[in-house]
Amino acid sequence: MSEKITVTIDSDLEELIPGFMENRKKDVEKLGKAVTIKDFKTLQSVGHSLKGVGGGYGFDRMSEFGAAIEEAGKASDLESAKEQVEQLRDYLSRLDIVFE
Amino acid sequence: MSRKTGKKHKILIVDDDNDILLLLKKWLEGDGFDVATAESAEEALENFEKTRPNLVVTDLFMSGMSGLDLLGRIHDDDPLLPVIMLSGQARIPDAVKATHLGSSAFLTKPVQHAEVLEHVQRVLRINYDRSGEAEIQKKVIYRSKKMEDLVNLAMMVADSNVTVFISGATGTGKEVIARAIHDASPRSDHPFIAVNCGAIPEQLLESELFGHEKGAFTGAATRNEGLFQAANGGTLFLDEVGDMPLSLQVKLLRVLQDFEVRPVGSTRSYPVDVRIISATHRDIDAAVRDGDFREDLYYRLKVVPLEMPTLAERREDIPLLVSHFLGEYAKKNKKSVKRFAPEAMDYLTTNSWPGNIRQLMNVVDLCVTLCKTDTIPLSLVKKVLQDKPSEFITLKEAKQEFEKNYLIGVLRVTSGHVANAAKIAGRNRTEFYKLLNQHGIDPAEFRNTKSE
Repeated sequence: MSEKITVTIDSDLEELIPGFMENRKKDVEKLGKAVTIKDFKTLQSVGHSLKGVGGGYGFDRMSEFGAAIEEAGKASDLESAKEQVEQLRDYLSRLDIVFE
Repeated sequence: MSRKTGKKHKILIVDDDNDILLLLKKWLEGDGFDVATAESAEEALENFEKTRPNLVVTDLFMSGMSGLDLLGRIHDDDPLLPVIMLSGQARIPDAVKATHLGSSAFLTKPVQHAEVLEHVQRVLRINYDRSGEAEIQKKVIYRSKKMEDLVNLAMMVADSNVTVFISGATGTGKEVIARAIHDASPRSDHPFIAVNCGAIPEQLLESELFGHEKGAFTGAATRNEGLFQAANGGTLFLDEVGDMPLSLQVKLLRVLQDFEVRPVGSTRSYPVDVRIISATHRDIDAAVRDGDFREDLYYRLKVVPLEMPTLAERREDIPLLVSHFLGEYAKKNKKSVKRFAPEAMDYLTTNSWPGNIRQLMNVVDLCVTLCKTDTIPLSLVKKVLQDKPSEFITLKEAKQEFEKNYLIGVLRVTSGHVANAAKIAGRNRTEFYKLLNQHGIDPAEFRNTKSE
């Protein structure tokens, strides 16, 4: 299923969103690589910053993924980290942003 | 949410996550603030002199220097500069530590716009406002809700000429509020004159307040215009007005009704334009009930009542007050700012403070004076505080003691003549005997001993 996930964002932030999304793509790449090489420290730190930044921009779900990845990194839980990173990748690919 | 606040305060935002910097900058600029950013604590410090912010918002955990260390460095130079801490973790020990070190607020990421704006505005409204606006918040140091409500009320009345009555225990800062109201009022270019009505003898108080003509009484070698006229256009602060003798209360009432003063020994009255702020630590309602304070005057004075909380009722202000006193001490003595160890600050925050802010200030000053190192340890605070409590007795005990000494004094002066003594005390004989009985004083003991 590749249904769109519509998220409404404050129109004041419109000009910031392209750069913001670019950084999230980089996060996913870093996270994917960290899963491959079992780099739990990176999982923890990237998850942490994702958690801190997502909700502020209006992407609450992103903060939830970030928190889960941070936790998985802390617990060295590779399975959980892998699953969360995949879900995050899927979430980002289906995002449909509406500015209001 | 991009309401303009109209103030151009400068805010420095420090975070190693560029997306957070951009977001906060966007929000706060939209709110009308001037925003500078730094991607590390080191960068923030490097450009600090140039940036000169009114407020710093910093991330707690950053690669390199942490937000807490940045806070410490900033407060070394300016202990009152507000710092809001952001953290990815809602960890209570971090929040407690940040608060002890003097941060103004602790927010957990992800933060929301409304939340950030609320804290920024709140923090800037606190006494750090150096833009010339909001004089009251600049002079009164607080972050507690109790004080915020009180200051809001004080600000509302500052603009008008309305008479303000401040009640509260000794050392709670009644004069500070009175002065802040004056400074925030259109009268601020004119004098603020404070007079302690309880400390001056009745005769002298009358001529001090209303003035006297040359030769009005023995010793009146020159004409004195009096404090009402000296405060013309400004504010007269009548401290301990509850101790004012009844005879003077009548005269004060007349001034408040007519806005005219007649100096002692003068045949004419002079118009005065003075705002009255009065204060007392006494239970003024009880004084009115007992007939010690005129009810009509009471209603004249108590148009807007402000009740100062005790320090124990506003404990959350203690770290802020301590940091203010530390900064003041350092400035006065041209020394570097010392700080209290976290456990010492805990102790200060939980102490009972019967002497309120004045006692806290004395304790801080004493600790700084006695401490040879930069950090004041808990042991020293304990020592300083334990030296103090014997000074304090309850108000009731103090009143009893005063009353007894007073009665002995008048009996001495009248050589034990009860009718005369009662007259001086402004009581009838029956009442006076009752007082003597209460204190176990025998007037006979004072008879014929005058010359001994």
